[in-house]
Amino acid sequence: MSTSMRQTTLETLGLGTTIDIFTKGKLPVNPDEMIDRVFGPASNRGSLVISGANGIVGAGKLMQFGVRLQSYNIPMVAIDFANAPDGIGGQYQGLVSSFGKGKADDIMSGVIRFNYDGAKLPSYLKSLNPKFLLEAIPEILEIKKAHYKIFREAFPGIEIRSVTSGFPSSELGVGIAHPAFPHQINKIWEIVEAQPSDITKMLWALGMIPMTVGDNWSFVLDVLFCGLMLAGCRYHDVSNMPFWKLDKFIRKWLGPNPYRAHDVIGAKGANFLTWSCLHHLSEHYGDLFRPTAKLTEQKNSGANWYPLNHLRPLINWSLGDDEIKEFENIVLGIMIQMTSLLVHEKRAHFTIMNSIGEMCAQFRNGMLAYIRSIGANSAMELVESYHKLYPQVSNGAWYPDVFDQIESTEWQQLYVNAEHDGTVGVISIARESYNQDVNDELNRAIDWLKAAKIERVILSGDFHLSSQLVGADTNEFFPAVTDAEKGFNIAFEWSKTARRLHSEFRNSVGFIGGKRCLGGMLELMSHCHYVVAIEDADLGAPEVTLPVIPGMEMCHLPFRKTTKENWQKLLKLLLDGRSIKAREASGWLIDYSGNMEEALKMAWQLASDGDAAIQRRQLTETPITNLTDFVTGLPDTENEVINASRKAIFDAVKSSCSVDYNAALTLQAKISGDFMTSKYCKNGFIGTECNKTLSV
Amino acid sequence: MKVIESIYSDARIPYGTWGSSYFPAWQMSALSEVNIGQFAGEAMGRILSLRKVPQTALDFLVIGSTVPWHWKFWTAPFVASCMGHRIPGHHIEQACATGLKSILSAAAEVQSGDSEVVGVLTFDRTSDSPVGVFPERRAYERTMALSDVWDNFGFDPATGGAMLSTAGIAARKYKIDKREVDELTFHRYKQYFHAKNSGFLDKVLVPLEVLNIQGKHLGTIDSDAGVRQISLDSLRSMRELDTCITSGTQTHASDGMATLLVTTKSKAKELSQKPEIDICLVAKCEIRTLPGLMPEAPALAVQKLLTMTGLKITDIAVMKSHNPFAVNDAIFAKVLNCDWHNMNNTGCPLVWGHPQGPTLTRVTMEGLEEAVSLGGGYVMIFGCAAGDVGIAAIFKVSEGGK
Repeated sequence: MSTSMRQTTLETLGLGTTIDIFTKGKLPVNPDEMIDRVFGPASNRGSLVISGANGIVGAGKLMQFGVRLQSYNIPMVAIDFANAPDGIGGQYQGLVSSFGKGKADDIMSGVIRFNYDGAKLPSYLKSLNPKFLLEAIPEILEIKKAHYKIFREAFPGIEIRSVTSGFPSSELGVGIAHPAFPHQINKIWEIVEAQPSDITKMLWALGMIPMTVGDNWSFVLDVLFCGLMLAGCRYHDVSNMPFWKLDKFIRKWLGPNPYRAHDVIGAKGANFLTWSCLHHLSEHYGDLFRPTAKLTEQKNSGANWYPLNHLRPLINWSLGDDEIKEFENIVLGIMIQMTSLLVHEKRAHFTIMNSIGEMCAQFRNGMLAYIRSIGANSAMELVESYHKLYPQVSNGAWYPDVFDQIESTEWQQLYVNAEHDGTVGVISIARESYNQDVNDELNRAIDWLKAAKIERVILSGDFHLSSQLVGADTNEFFPAVTDAEKGFNIAFEWSKTARRLHSEFRNSVGFIGGKRCLGGMLELMSHCHYVVAIEDADLGAPEVTLPVIPGMEMCHLPFRKTTKENWQKLLKLLLDGRSIKAREASGWLIDYSGNMEEALKMAWQLASDGDAAIQRRQLTETPITNLTDFVTGLPDTENEVINASRKAIFDAVKSSCSVDYNAALTLQAKISGDFMTSKYCKNGFIGTECNKTLSV
Repeated sequence: MKVIESIYSDARIPYGTWGSSYFPAWQMSALSEVNIGQFAGEAMGRILSLRKVPQTALDFLVIGSTVPWHWKFWTAPFVASCMGHRIPGHHIEQACATGLKSILSAAAEVQSGDSEVVGVLTFDRTSDSPVGVFPERRAYERTMALSDVWDNFGFDPATGGAMLSTAGIAARKYKIDKREVDELTFHRYKQYFHAKNSGFLDKVLVPLEVLNIQGKHLGTIDSDAGVRQISLDSLRSMRELDTCITSGTQTHASDGMATLLVTTKSKAKELSQKPEIDICLVAKCEIRTLPGLMPEAPALAVQKLLTMTGLKITDIAVMKSHNPFAVNDAIFAKVLNCDWHNMNNTGCPLVWGHPQGPTLTRVTMEGLEEAVSLGGGYVMIFGCAAGDVGIAAIFKVSEGGK
């Protein structure tokens, strides 16, 4: 029996808890069994049918499933009107780019195209034994219902999911699997169904990210994203600010570029969907969601939001203090009010509600995290200020009481959860990149385990929202580009948190179960007594390419945990920036690699029994004096920035290794912080992104 | 203040909703790099934003310009779309009278009841004049090229003379003394710099940052670039190009835009930053004089307008003119028997330049602002155009219906 800080998001999919995965030593379901359950056994496989297959969603999902189902010999049936413009052929080049011509041809050879008239199904379809219909036809309720009817009459046992972005399952009479753009590669699906189904579990088993959301008009993603479009339009109405510039201010405050995104997706379709979503929401919730006249005009015209290329903007817009206040009141006020509605209606697990914004709509921090960061009172003040400008929206869909929950564990632990069985704890991180929120939540998770007297811990991704651990969230470094002290503080505080994994537990195991673990996340894992990874995981330190200097102790910690003969490998990893497979890193960077089940079992064993399984690598706390002066096997480059960054990182390694372990904490943080103000960092990825985001 | 019935009794200019770019001298700013129609449209959106006027309040746009610009065929709706709110409209062009004529046209639109809020947007770029190629059967070349700005300044096809020569002819007719013209010019510069240093111009002029094709900073239009302090001695030492005309006593080509709104009485109260201020157009007149006597035309227009309205020159609180030549003002003072020191108090085109389309729009805005600062009164706006035309209009600025 285990205890957790909060419910794991896996449980919302009917897949148990994270600690269950470790105790059982295997994932809750695997692709083979789920394919069998959905499509039947290999001897009698049924087919996947995607209707509206020439549309943006249909064609994209056809490719995504094609890649995953090709090895299972599942026919991929694409069905659409005879006169629908071909949306499938255009996908081929993307497949070739990603997988090579051979595999692309194999995938496309599994696609069977049918035309139909919308009223009756092609007679040959029966021979393909359809098991799962993914409906991606236009957003017109009656047409969708009629569509399901003909499929159900022809194939009574068929599972149907609609990709609708707006209609509730209760209106459609089928479950919903609403995917996020771009459809070929985005793995996220908003799922609406009474109980977690085999379809949903299959999506998870195939490496996609289903997220359970409530059965309401428009789901979480569309409320947030369409809501942000509307918020921008409302500010546009009072300010005249052109949309290209609004995008920049919205990006600075929250992260997304909603107007650019509409143009990229295809303004004609995206404008309609956004309008439709808001229109239906306004029918249910009132003026908060009422589309503006401009939005309606854009829906009718299908016009882009950005000026045409030959009319690139000439006049820049800056905002004075009063204008900024007005922008905040309108844009943030609307978003906070809409979030209050989502929370009030319990539209999803808080972590999911928060992550949908980050993972599907470019929010730097999900709305729940954002509200938490400014505090309940400030959030309510923003909404109330907005209501002064638009009194008509104050009477409905505003639930300030939900902010009473802001101190709850669910709201405080959006990214990091902890579970334990009385002996071993599991800390799971539900975010691909490390930021200050994760850092704070990780500290609270450690505190929670310590309070329960847990001395053995596994640190892992959450097997759901963080399918990979990509490193530090570089947005966090923006303030450090102009202020070395801020850079120092980030490196110092994050390192201090990471050190707790080493110093406050008897056994700690970093578990890398996703596709990759890079940069700051690898540094974090490296602080554990043991690191266990699945053998195909990519491990790397790409900091040199940004460039930044690793600030969570990668410049000395792994050197202290391995023998001299491995230092060249560590230096090459740090100075090259390219990743290596986990199986190559065993024994000097990590302690064990194996397949998923082997790795899970080993992680549990190490956490439970420590050195009984593998001899722990000892940490040398004294200075390392005999570090080499050169690196072998490093490819030459004429790139001045890379060469300068390599030298800076090498110097950082030498300096932080030359002092004792305690002194190294401060020293490496200072080196990392100082480098962020260098011309290399300022002109590099972080400086450029910082400039692009903050200098509006 | 005498009460005169307005010709456009339903039309009002909402106070505080106007704005103009600075007018940098030609080739001296980023404006020489841009499509001025697009610039003007975008600048109008920004100015309206600063004035707290949603662009969606506008339902018609009158644009005014004289130098051809790229895509001018698409006229006001295109410029409106650059502003951010595509609305119908039309284009007005009457040489240097364009600005005032555009305001009059907007007032007529409102008066007709067809439109409620009409934007007036005037602009011109004299820098890098476009060159037109015209088939001309009567020319031996068969095809003629015309550099729109300078070739037209230098040649009035109706008289065969240059614009500059009209000033010399008029100066000789009125026996204007060069010393007076130099002193007048010197005084105009003092007036401009006084207005600038006092912050008065900040009520009208809006700094604007111009972006290049990559969206990066290209330049900031934040001064009437090219205008510098001038001494009486230097004016006196300048070579006469024609009678009383030197490079110092005539205007210079410049680039810019200026915008204001004309609307109904009730809407003006809604849009204005100071609803208690009422601004209406009282009367207007346009005349022509003999060919080549352009500098006397404004005086004759004002004379006629005073006769039409029954007002005396002493009833006018603010007088502002478009004066491409200093002799314009000297002739005006002589014809109207008034003191040229008491007009153009906050600057004038003689000093800050001559982008044609927006010139009289900026003059009007400055005149209205000056009247507001005086507590109200009649504002006489006038100027010359196209070789022998004069235009004049009287506005009434009152506070709280006084």
